[in-house]
Amino acid sequence: MKRLRDVASVLLAVIILFPLAYALSASFFARGDFTTLPARFLPSTFTPSNYVRAFASSNLARYLYNSLVTAIMGTGLRMVVCLAAAYSLTTFEYRGREAIFLILVASMLLPGDALLLANYLEVRRMGLVNTYLGLVVTGIFSPTAVFLLRQYFLTVSPEYREAAYLEGCSDLRFMMTMLAPMSKSVLLAIAVQSFTGYFNAYLWPLLVTSRDSMRTVQVGLTMLGFSETYDLGPQFAAIVFLTAPMLLLVLAMRRRIFEGISTRFSGR
Amino acid sequence: MKRYLIVAMLLASMTAFAAGGREQKNTNEVTNITWWHSNSGILGEATADLVDTFNNTVGKEKHIHVDAVYQGKASDVLTKAKAIWQGNDLEDLPDLVQFDAQAVLDIRDNKALVPMEQLAKGNGYDLSQIVSSARLSQTYKGQMIGMPFNASTILLYYNKSAFDEVGITEAPKTLDELAEDSKRLLKRDSSGNVTRYGYAGVPTTYELCAWLGQQDGLSLIVDQNNGHDGIPTKVLFDQNGTMVNFLTKWQALHDTGALDNATSGVTGEFASGKTAMMAQSTSALTTMMEMTKGKFELGVANLPMVDEKATGGVNIGGGALYALDNKSGHQDAAFTFVAFAVSMEQQLAWHIATGYFPVNEGTYQMEEFKKHCEEHPLFSVAIDQMRESNPLLQGIWVPSSYEIYYAFQKGIVDMLDSAASPEETTKKLAKTINGYFENYRNTQD
Amino acid sequence: MKGTRLRKIAPYLYVLPALGLAVLFCYAPFFATILDSVSHVRASGERIRFVGLENFQNLFASDSFHDSLRNTITFTLWFVPCNVLATFLSALLVHGKGKALRASRSALMATIAIAMGSIVLILKTLFDENTGLYNRILCTSVRWFSSPRAAMGMLVYTGIYLDFGFDFLLFSASLDNIPRDLYEVAALEGADPWQRLWYLEFPLTEPTMVFVVLNNLKDAFLICSPVMILTEGGPFRSTQTIVYQMYLEGFKGGNIAMGSALATVAFSMSLVLFLAGMALQHRRVFYQ
Repeated sequence: MKRLRDVASVLLAVIILFPLAYALSASFFARGDFTTLPARFLPSTFTPSNYVRAFASSNLARYLYNSLVTAIMGTGLRMVVCLAAAYSLTTFEYRGREAIFLILVASMLLPGDALLLANYLEVRRMGLVNTYLGLVVTGIFSPTAVFLLRQYFLTVSPEYREAAYLEGCSDLRFMMTMLAPMSKSVLLAIAVQSFTGYFNAYLWPLLVTSRDSMRTVQVGLTMLGFSETYDLGPQFAAIVFLTAPMLLLVLAMRRRIFEGISTRFSGR
Repeated sequence: MKRYLIVAMLLASMTAFAAGGREQKNTNEVTNITWWHSNSGILGEATADLVDTFNNTVGKEKHIHVDAVYQGKASDVLTKAKAIWQGNDLEDLPDLVQFDAQAVLDIRDNKALVPMEQLAKGNGYDLSQIVSSARLSQTYKGQMIGMPFNASTILLYYNKSAFDEVGITEAPKTLDELAEDSKRLLKRDSSGNVTRYGYAGVPTTYELCAWLGQQDGLSLIVDQNNGHDGIPTKVLFDQNGTMVNFLTKWQALHDTGALDNATSGVTGEFASGKTAMMAQSTSALTTMMEMTKGKFELGVANLPMVDEKATGGVNIGGGALYALDNKSGHQDAAFTFVAFAVSMEQQLAWHIATGYFPVNEGTYQMEEFKKHCEEHPLFSVAIDQMRESNPLLQGIWVPSSYEIYYAFQKGIVDMLDSAASPEETTKKLAKTINGYFENYRNTQD
Repeated sequence: MKGTRLRKIAPYLYVLPALGLAVLFCYAPFFATILDSVSHVRASGERIRFVGLENFQNLFASDSFHDSLRNTITFTLWFVPCNVLATFLSALLVHGKGKALRASRSALMATIAIAMGSIVLILKTLFDENTGLYNRILCTSVRWFSSPRAAMGMLVYTGIYLDFGFDFLLFSASLDNIPRDLYEVAALEGADPWQRLWYLEFPLTEPTMVFVVLNNLKDAFLICSPVMILTEGGPFRSTQTIVYQMYLEGFKGGNIAMGSALATVAFSMSLVLFLAGMALQHRRVFYQ
């Protein structure tokens, strides 16, 4: 029974990882290797020429830079904005608080993909096309993040804050030096989700960037493939180049990610 | 990396010149021209060669540097450009852009367009050296708006080894013959599964422009002269009988069981021997020769005519170069490059590398060209077909071209699957496409 | 005192950026979309005139929309149950001790590191009808890109692959959170694996299950980017979804009114979904 389970789990892992292994192998394919019959798994010769071509024919490094700037900037802004909002909604008593909370959370009902067209027109009107701000601005506010942080803050005893006030600690300092570190795991979960969300975004960056120098990785990748001519080597080289570091990062941080996910759901 | 180096060198040289003295600036400053294109793979390499040659010869002499930017598929290039001119940040537009026919409606009345004919006149360029059918394919209200550059037609590709195997000596000339040959080429394995189809593909706008337009010598598909004189208001294929005629022939082909309704990967299917024939652009020729090398003998022939009366031939497709006003004042420099790109020598090199046919009449007189045709008879088939076609046969310029492309394919396949009559299908197609025209009018005023 | 004034407005200052962004990039575009859907609109975004429900009438009468609607529903009906089942069973399979299980678990969660674009491009090559490896490995010649049904199957598989890592993680974490003593109690009472699944693992992962299902439903209703890269809606519009059609009409075709009408349909669908989700949760609370 145990043995069977081990075999099944390994088999599952192989099925899931197969496309990755193929991508690695295909990144060394010669041009003709994509059209040989029957289809091949290993390249006919090992040459790094696809990697050379991938870098020579596109600004791959620039795309990566843009993606990282977008993901870091967007994630940073999202954390600050949502943290502040959740803080305001839980620590203070004021007129209109419930209404504001409702307005913020109800926006969950308006899926971003359906707002794409109108948001695009708006961002264009603001002159933010081809800017980093244009790339991140529509995703900064996240109702889910506000909701999760608020849920968590509600579990924090108000005594902390009172004690902090008595010590003469300001709201801002309390939020940054006490509350934020306490909610580290929730913040981490939000950060991971936000970062991958920004990094993986495809449609929005496709719409709001037209300059080559502003393109992100996801958009640049789909433009590397020369699918009509089955000249796919450079595309796979780029995929490997971009996936490898992310993969190592995720594997190195897998325990942390797990914890973040667990906390996210223990509150519910 | 290479691009960065070039830019860095340019910047360095520019600052050096700037420091050198103001009076020198006008003569030595390098004018940068940006060109957006959709040429990938082999075409991409030919494009890079063309640009490099220019930058190292004429460009160097006249201090013009062209930067070619691959912007994805032809439709992606249009989406990008559209986003800019709708947003009115015209400075972000490239100086030159390569579009295919689906972009014409967006570009021809666009205030950012600088009609190529105007630039040609201003630069004393003689347009009569451009092949007339190619020139007509870019003519709007009597003016040539873009420079034909990657001109192609549709061509029948066939597996000559398979033809020999079943004893077919000549490529089909009509759709009736196509059906007959397909039937003979059809091959099944012992369990009855098809291992080789006669023909693969579902007609798209590109094939239909030829198959509808060639009938009775010359027929129109939509009004406003196929959209070349204005925005079409209705289709004509339902009134002139061309669609019913074509669909009847196509249904007959389907009834042989040798037609494969494949919409993608047709080139791969052909190269792997799973279909014996397909219709493809002439521009795929180089790639197909490479893909079939060592597998079987490749043959090409004129696109089969719908029937004996359909003598119009095929229309010119592909793309053209358009000059855009991005407030840089570099249009004349851009035209210098365009003139270079369509010069007879460069068109010969472009033709040899890609299979697109030369748009410069001069190329056809060159000894090297004649020699190349003799050595590569497949290329001359494509060229002869184009030269024999009626130059007035032109592709359609319609709004919502993307949706219409799918409507055609979907309508045809629905007919084949549901046993609907060609008449009903024609009516339905006309209604759908007229609906797209109406929707488009609603966005206009 | 200077501080009291500040104290009074401080809470608003903290919440203002979020509120401003919500209004600017959620509510304003939402109302703009509704307005555009009942107007004629120029490609520049300028409204020409109010036309009532004309856009919706045209939309609902068109074959293209019928296809989008049917495809979106078909995709959802296949994708959600298959994905939930696949990820839940996978999490269950590797939940436990041992080297093989732990290694598999790392491998399965690692897929969250691969970007959507990369995954779709790789699968696109593997699924190629003639030169792809999947047909070779399976010893089949399925027309993944030419047969409408196969293309839908391929899209469902791609969708599962894309959501696999994250949903698998959620289920795994949720299984890990089941207190150890409950397992011990189950062992003491002599529960077999099926009973354990039914009385222990199922009920205790239910909140995660509800979340995953709702999230999957939302993803499925709004699927677009994978379609753009994988099939472009083909063959014969058999994988054209509502949001992809919105992209086609609104961006490619420049018909913002039609695009907005499609977006409005998407809004309505997600609203119905939300209400259904609420009702579901409400009933659960009621029974408890």
